[in-house]
Amino acid sequence: MKKYLAAIICGFGAGVLQIVPFVKNFSCCMILPLAAFFSLLLDQRATRNFEKIPMKKALLFGLFTGLFAASFGSVLEILITFITKHNDVIASFTDLQRIVQNLPLSEDIKKEVLNIFQSVREDILKNGFSILYTFSVIVNNFIVNSIFGSVGGLIGARIINSKLHHQSNGQ
Amino acid sequence: MKRSYSLILFFLSLIWFLGIFIEWFIKIDEHFVFALPYLQKTYSLVCHQEKNKLLLFGEIETLTCARCTGIYLGLLLPSLLVLLKLPKGKLHINILLVAAAPMIADVLLTSLNIYAYSKLIAFLTGFLLGSFGFFYLYAGLNSLILELKR
Repeated sequence: MKKYLAAIICGFGAGVLQIVPFVKNFSCCMILPLAAFFSLLLDQRATRNFEKIPMKKALLFGLFTGLFAASFGSVLEILITFITKHNDVIASFTDLQRIVQNLPLSEDIKKEVLNIFQSVREDILKNGFSILYTFSVIVNNFIVNSIFGSVGGLIGARIINSKLHHQSNGQ
Repeated sequence: MKRSYSLILFFLSLIWFLGIFIEWFIKIDEHFVFALPYLQKTYSLVCHQEKNKLLLFGEIETLTCARCTGIYLGLLLPSLLVLLKLPKGKLHINILLVAAAPMIADVLLTSLNIYAYSKLIAFLTGFLLGSFGFFYLYAGLNSLILELKR
Protein backbone atom coordinates (compact mmCIF):
# COMPACT_ATOMS: atom_id res chain seq x y z
CA MET A 1 0.00 0.00 0.00
CA LYS A 2 2.87 2.34 0.89
CA LYS A 3 4.17 1.85 -2.63
CA TYR A 4 1.07 3.58 -3.98
CA LEU A 5 0.90 6.37 -1.37
CA ALA A 6 1.35 9.01 -4.08
CA ALA A 7 -1.56 7.50 -6.03
CA ILE A 8 -3.72 7.53 -2.87
CA ILE A 9 -2.96 11.20 -2.18
CA CYS A 10 -3.54 12.34 -5.76
CA GLY A 11 -6.56 10.05 -6.12
CA PHE A 12 -8.09 11.59 -3.01
CA GLY A 13 -7.50 15.08 -4.40
CA ALA A 14 -9.09 14.19 -7.73
CA GLY A 15 -12.02 12.43 -6.03
CA VAL A 16 -12.73 15.51 -3.92
CA LEU A 17 -12.49 17.87 -6.91
CA GLN A 18 -14.97 15.74 -8.82
CA ILE A 19 -17.57 15.47 -6.09
CA VAL A 20 -17.65 18.30 -3.58
CA PRO A 21 -20.35 20.86 -4.48
CA PHE A 22 -19.05 24.18 -5.82
CA VAL A 23 -15.49 22.82 -6.25
CA LYS A 24 -17.11 20.38 -8.67
CA ASN A 25 -17.99 23.30 -10.97
CA PHE A 26 -14.32 23.56 -11.83
CA SER A 27 -14.10 19.90 -12.77
CA CYS A 28 -12.77 19.15 -16.17
CA CYS A 29 -11.46 16.23 -18.16
CA MET A 30 -7.89 17.15 -17.23
CA ILE A 31 -8.30 16.52 -13.46
CA LEU A 32 -7.68 12.78 -13.49
CA PRO A 33 -4.89 12.71 -16.07
CA LEU A 34 -3.19 15.51 -14.12
CA ALA A 35 -3.68 13.64 -10.83
CA ALA A 36 -2.02 10.56 -12.37
CA PHE A 37 0.83 12.72 -13.68
CA PHE A 38 1.33 14.31 -10.24
CA SER A 39 1.25 10.92 -8.56
CA LEU A 40 4.20 9.86 -10.75
CA LEU A 41 6.07 13.06 -9.90
CA LEU A 42 5.28 12.68 -6.21
CA ASP A 43 6.47 9.09 -6.23
CA GLN A 44 9.73 10.15 -7.90
CA ARG A 45 10.32 12.72 -5.16
CA ALA A 46 9.36 10.34 -2.35
CA THR A 47 11.56 7.48 -3.55
CA ARG A 48 14.31 9.80 -4.86
CA ASN A 49 14.35 7.67 -7.96
CA PHE A 50 14.68 9.98 -10.97
CA GLU A 51 15.31 7.27 -13.53
CA LYS A 52 13.15 6.63 -16.58
CA ILE A 53 9.67 5.48 -15.54
CA PRO A 54 8.68 2.07 -16.96
CA MET A 55 5.32 2.23 -18.75
CA LYS A 56 4.01 -0.70 -16.71
CA LYS A 57 4.58 1.33 -13.55
CA ALA A 58 3.03 4.41 -15.16
CA LEU A 59 -0.07 2.44 -16.13
CA LEU A 60 -0.41 0.99 -12.62
CA PHE A 61 0.05 4.37 -10.97
CA GLY A 62 -2.52 5.93 -13.29
CA LEU A 63 -4.93 3.05 -12.75
CA PHE A 64 -4.56 3.21 -8.96
CA THR A 65 -4.94 6.99 -8.95
CA GLY A 66 -8.20 6.51 -10.87
CA LEU A 67 -9.37 3.70 -8.59
CA PHE A 68 -8.60 5.67 -5.43
CA ALA A 69 -10.32 8.74 -6.90
CA ALA A 70 -13.34 6.55 -7.70
CA SER A 71 -13.40 5.05 -4.18
CA PHE A 72 -13.08 8.40 -2.39
CA GLY A 73 -15.41 10.08 -4.87
CA SER A 74 -18.11 7.42 -4.55
CA VAL A 75 -17.99 7.37 -0.75
CA LEU A 76 -18.07 11.17 -0.57
CA GLU A 77 -20.90 11.47 -3.07
CA ILE A 78 -23.03 8.83 -1.37
CA LEU A 79 -22.32 10.38 2.04
CA ILE A 80 -23.08 13.95 0.92
CA THR A 81 -26.31 12.74 -0.71
CA PHE A 82 -27.27 10.87 2.45
CA ILE A 83 -26.63 13.87 4.71
CA THR A 84 -28.03 16.64 2.52
CA LYS A 85 -30.75 14.57 0.78
CA HIS A 86 -29.87 16.57 -2.29
CA ASN A 87 -27.63 15.97 -5.30
CA ASP A 88 -27.29 16.63 -9.00
CA VAL A 89 -30.13 14.22 -9.85
CA ILE A 90 -32.52 16.43 -7.91
CA ALA A 91 -30.94 19.61 -9.21
CA SER A 92 -31.16 18.49 -12.84
CA PHE A 93 -34.61 16.93 -12.66
CA THR A 94 -36.45 19.88 -14.22
CA ASP A 95 -33.79 20.02 -16.94
CA LEU A 96 -34.21 16.34 -17.72
CA GLN A 97 -37.98 16.76 -17.78
CA ARG A 98 -37.59 19.60 -20.29
CA ILE A 99 -35.17 17.60 -22.47
CA VAL A 100 -37.39 14.52 -22.46
CA GLN A 101 -40.53 16.57 -23.20
CA ASN A 102 -38.79 18.28 -26.14
CA LEU A 103 -37.60 15.04 -27.69
CA PRO A 104 -39.71 13.35 -30.36
CA LEU A 105 -40.60 10.34 -28.19
CA SER A 106 -43.74 8.31 -27.75
CA GLU A 107 -45.75 9.17 -24.64
CA ASP A 108 -45.12 5.71 -23.16
CA ILE A 109 -41.34 6.08 -23.34
CA LYS A 110 -41.46 9.62 -21.93
CA LYS A 111 -43.60 8.41 -19.04
CA GLU A 112 -41.37 5.41 -18.37
CA VAL A 113 -38.13 7.45 -18.30
CA LEU A 114 -39.57 10.14 -16.10
CA ASN A 115 -41.05 7.52 -13.75
CA ILE A 116 -37.63 5.90 -13.26
CA PHE A 117 -36.04 9.27 -12.64
CA GLN A 118 -38.89 10.35 -10.37
CA SER A 119 -38.55 7.22 -8.21
CA VAL A 120 -34.79 7.86 -7.81
CA ARG A 121 -35.54 11.49 -6.92
CA GLU A 122 -38.18 10.53 -4.36
CA ASP A 123 -35.89 7.95 -2.72
CA ILE A 124 -33.17 10.56 -2.36
CA LEU A 125 -35.50 13.26 -1.02
CA LYS A 126 -37.04 10.83 1.45
CA ASN A 127 -34.12 8.64 2.57
CA GLY A 128 -31.02 10.30 1.11
CA PHE A 129 -30.32 7.02 -0.63
CA SER A 130 -31.30 5.28 -3.85
CA ILE A 131 -29.99 1.88 -4.92
CA LEU A 132 -30.12 2.79 -8.63
CA TYR A 133 -28.30 6.06 -8.05
CA THR A 134 -25.66 4.47 -5.82
CA PHE A 135 -25.08 1.70 -8.35
CA SER A 136 -24.70 4.19 -11.22
CA VAL A 137 -22.32 6.37 -9.17
CA ILE A 138 -20.08 3.43 -8.30
CA VAL A 139 -20.04 1.91 -11.80
CA ASN A 140 -19.51 5.30 -13.46
CA ASN A 141 -16.75 6.40 -11.11
CA PHE A 142 -14.79 3.17 -11.34
CA ILE A 143 -14.96 2.83 -15.12
CA VAL A 144 -14.38 6.47 -16.10
CA ASN A 145 -11.77 7.27 -13.45
CA SER A 146 -9.70 4.16 -14.06
CA ILE A 147 -9.60 4.86 -17.82
CA PHE A 148 -8.75 8.54 -17.44
CA GLY A 149 -6.21 7.74 -14.71
CA SER A 150 -4.47 5.15 -16.90
CA VAL A 151 -4.38 7.56 -19.85
CA GLY A 152 -2.89 10.23 -17.55
CA GLY A 153 -0.30 7.78 -16.24
CA LEU A 154 0.87 6.83 -19.74
CA ILE A 155 0.98 10.41 -21.06
CA GLY A 156 2.55 11.62 -17.81
CA ALA A 157 5.32 9.04 -17.98
CA ARG A 158 6.03 9.99 -21.60
CA ILE A 159 6.37 13.64 -20.55
CA ILE A 160 8.60 12.86 -17.56
CA ASN A 161 10.76 10.43 -19.56
CA SER A 162 11.04 12.85 -22.47
CA LYS A 163 12.18 15.57 -20.03
CA LEU A 164 14.79 13.20 -18.54
CA HIS A 165 15.95 12.21 -22.02
CA HIS A 166 16.49 15.84 -23.03
CA GLN A 167 18.20 16.68 -19.73
CA SER A 168 20.65 13.79 -20.13
CA ASN A 169 21.29 14.80 -23.76
CA GLY A 170 21.98 18.37 -22.68
CA GLN A 171 24.59 17.36 -20.12
CA MET B 1 1.80 -0.68 -32.53
CA LYS B 2 -0.21 -3.33 -34.35
CA ARG B 3 -3.08 -2.05 -36.45
CA SER B 4 -5.52 -4.12 -34.39
CA TYR B 5 -4.56 -2.17 -31.25
CA SER B 6 -4.94 1.09 -33.16
CA LEU B 7 -8.36 -0.07 -34.30
CA ILE B 8 -9.41 -0.77 -30.70
CA LEU B 9 -8.13 2.66 -29.68
CA PHE B 10 -10.08 4.27 -32.52
CA PHE B 11 -13.33 2.50 -31.61
CA LEU B 12 -12.99 3.37 -27.93
CA SER B 13 -12.41 7.03 -28.83
CA LEU B 14 -15.33 6.90 -31.26
CA ILE B 15 -17.75 5.42 -28.71
CA TRP B 16 -16.70 7.99 -26.12
CA PHE B 17 -17.08 10.82 -28.61
CA LEU B 18 -20.47 9.64 -29.89
CA GLY B 19 -21.76 9.42 -26.32
CA ILE B 20 -21.53 13.22 -26.14
CA PHE B 21 -24.18 13.41 -28.90
CA ILE B 22 -26.66 10.98 -27.31
CA GLU B 23 -29.55 13.39 -27.92
CA TRP B 24 -29.07 12.90 -31.68
CA PHE B 25 -29.28 9.14 -31.29
CA ILE B 26 -32.53 9.45 -29.38
CA LYS B 27 -34.00 10.87 -32.59
CA ILE B 28 -32.89 7.72 -34.41
CA ASP B 29 -34.07 5.27 -31.77
CA GLU B 30 -36.09 6.52 -28.83
CA HIS B 31 -34.81 3.75 -26.55
CA PHE B 32 -31.51 5.63 -26.30
CA VAL B 33 -33.36 7.99 -23.96
CA PHE B 34 -32.89 5.45 -21.15
CA ALA B 35 -29.13 5.99 -21.44
CA LEU B 36 -29.43 9.79 -21.24
CA PRO B 37 -29.49 10.24 -17.42
CA TYR B 38 -26.70 7.69 -17.03
CA LEU B 39 -24.50 9.33 -19.67
CA GLN B 40 -25.16 12.78 -18.21
CA LYS B 41 -23.75 11.45 -14.95
CA THR B 42 -20.83 9.78 -16.75
CA TYR B 43 -19.74 12.93 -18.55
CA SER B 44 -20.30 15.06 -15.44
CA LEU B 45 -17.25 13.31 -13.98
CA VAL B 46 -15.04 14.76 -16.66
CA CYS B 47 -16.77 18.04 -17.51
CA HIS B 48 -18.46 20.81 -15.52
CA GLN B 49 -21.33 20.76 -18.08
CA GLU B 50 -22.12 24.44 -17.57
CA LYS B 51 -25.23 25.18 -19.60
CA ASN B 52 -23.84 28.26 -21.38
CA LYS B 53 -20.70 26.39 -22.44
CA LEU B 54 -22.36 23.35 -24.04
CA LEU B 55 -22.53 23.15 -27.83
CA LEU B 56 -26.04 23.78 -29.09
CA PHE B 57 -27.46 22.54 -32.36
CA GLY B 58 -31.03 23.77 -32.53
CA GLU B 59 -32.70 22.40 -29.41
CA ILE B 60 -30.16 19.65 -28.95
CA GLU B 61 -27.06 20.07 -26.85
CA THR B 62 -23.89 18.10 -26.24
CA LEU B 63 -23.20 16.43 -22.89
CA THR B 64 -19.79 18.12 -22.55
CA CYS B 65 -18.66 21.72 -22.92
CA ALA B 66 -17.14 23.10 -26.12
CA ARG B 67 -13.58 22.69 -24.83
CA CYS B 68 -14.00 19.06 -23.75
CA THR B 69 -15.82 18.24 -27.03
CA GLY B 70 -12.82 19.75 -28.84
CA ILE B 71 -10.39 17.66 -26.80
CA TYR B 72 -12.30 14.44 -27.54
CA LEU B 73 -12.59 15.22 -31.25
CA GLY B 74 -8.87 16.01 -31.13
CA LEU B 75 -8.27 12.52 -29.73
CA LEU B 76 -10.58 10.85 -32.21
CA LEU B 77 -9.26 12.24 -35.51
CA PRO B 78 -5.58 11.30 -35.02
CA SER B 79 -6.72 7.83 -33.86
CA LEU B 80 -8.25 7.48 -37.33
CA LEU B 81 -5.11 8.87 -38.98
CA VAL B 82 -2.83 6.33 -37.27
CA LEU B 83 -4.96 3.58 -38.78
CA LEU B 84 -3.90 4.82 -42.20
CA LYS B 85 -0.29 5.68 -41.43
CA LEU B 86 1.68 4.73 -38.35
CA PRO B 87 3.57 7.69 -36.87
CA LYS B 88 7.34 7.54 -36.58
CA GLY B 89 9.84 9.73 -34.80
CA LYS B 90 10.16 10.92 -31.21
CA LEU B 91 7.96 13.50 -29.56
CA HIS B 92 9.57 16.45 -27.89
CA ILE B 93 7.90 17.61 -24.68
CA ASN B 94 7.84 21.19 -25.98
CA ILE B 95 5.35 20.21 -28.68
CA LEU B 96 2.78 19.26 -26.05
CA LEU B 97 3.50 22.43 -24.07
CA VAL B 98 3.02 24.56 -27.20
CA ALA B 99 -0.23 22.70 -27.98
CA ALA B 100 -1.47 23.22 -24.41
CA ALA B 101 -0.48 26.89 -24.22
CA PRO B 102 -3.47 28.34 -26.17
CA MET B 103 -5.94 26.39 -24.01
CA ILE B 104 -4.27 27.39 -20.77
CA ALA B 105 -4.12 31.01 -21.94
CA ASP B 106 -7.80 30.92 -22.97
CA VAL B 107 -8.87 29.45 -19.61
CA LEU B 108 -6.86 32.07 -17.71
CA LEU B 109 -7.90 35.03 -19.84
CA THR B 110 -11.63 34.17 -19.79
CA SER B 111 -11.49 33.44 -16.05
CA LEU B 112 -9.89 36.85 -15.46
CA ASN B 113 -12.58 38.43 -17.68
CA ILE B 114 -9.96 39.82 -20.05
CA TYR B 115 -12.18 38.68 -22.89
CA ALA B 116 -15.52 36.90 -23.08
CA TYR B 117 -15.75 33.13 -23.26
CA SER B 118 -16.10 31.92 -26.83
CA LYS B 119 -17.26 28.40 -27.62
CA LEU B 120 -15.33 28.43 -30.89
CA ILE B 121 -12.03 29.40 -29.24
CA ALA B 122 -12.63 26.90 -26.42
CA PHE B 123 -13.39 24.17 -28.97
CA LEU B 124 -10.36 24.94 -31.14
CA THR B 125 -7.89 25.22 -28.25
CA GLY B 126 -9.25 21.96 -26.82
CA PHE B 127 -8.97 20.31 -30.21
CA LEU B 128 -5.34 21.40 -30.53
CA LEU B 129 -4.39 19.91 -27.16
CA GLY B 130 -6.40 16.74 -27.77
CA SER B 131 -4.85 16.05 -31.15
CA PHE B 132 -1.26 16.47 -29.95
CA GLY B 133 -2.01 14.75 -26.65
CA PHE B 134 -3.18 11.71 -28.60
CA PHE B 135 0.32 11.11 -29.99
CA TYR B 136 1.75 11.06 -26.45
CA LEU B 137 -0.90 8.54 -25.45
CA TYR B 138 -0.17 6.53 -28.58
CA ALA B 139 3.57 6.57 -27.89
CA GLY B 140 2.91 5.60 -24.25
CA LEU B 141 0.75 2.65 -25.29
CA ASN B 142 3.35 1.64 -27.84
CA SER B 143 6.10 1.59 -25.20
CA LEU B 144 3.81 -0.31 -22.82
CA ILE B 145 3.14 -3.02 -25.43
CA LEU B 146 6.87 -3.31 -26.19
CA GLU B 147 7.63 -3.56 -22.45
CA LEU B 148 5.01 -6.26 -21.93
CA LYS B 149 6.38 -8.26 -24.86
CA ARG B 150 9.89 -8.34 -23.40
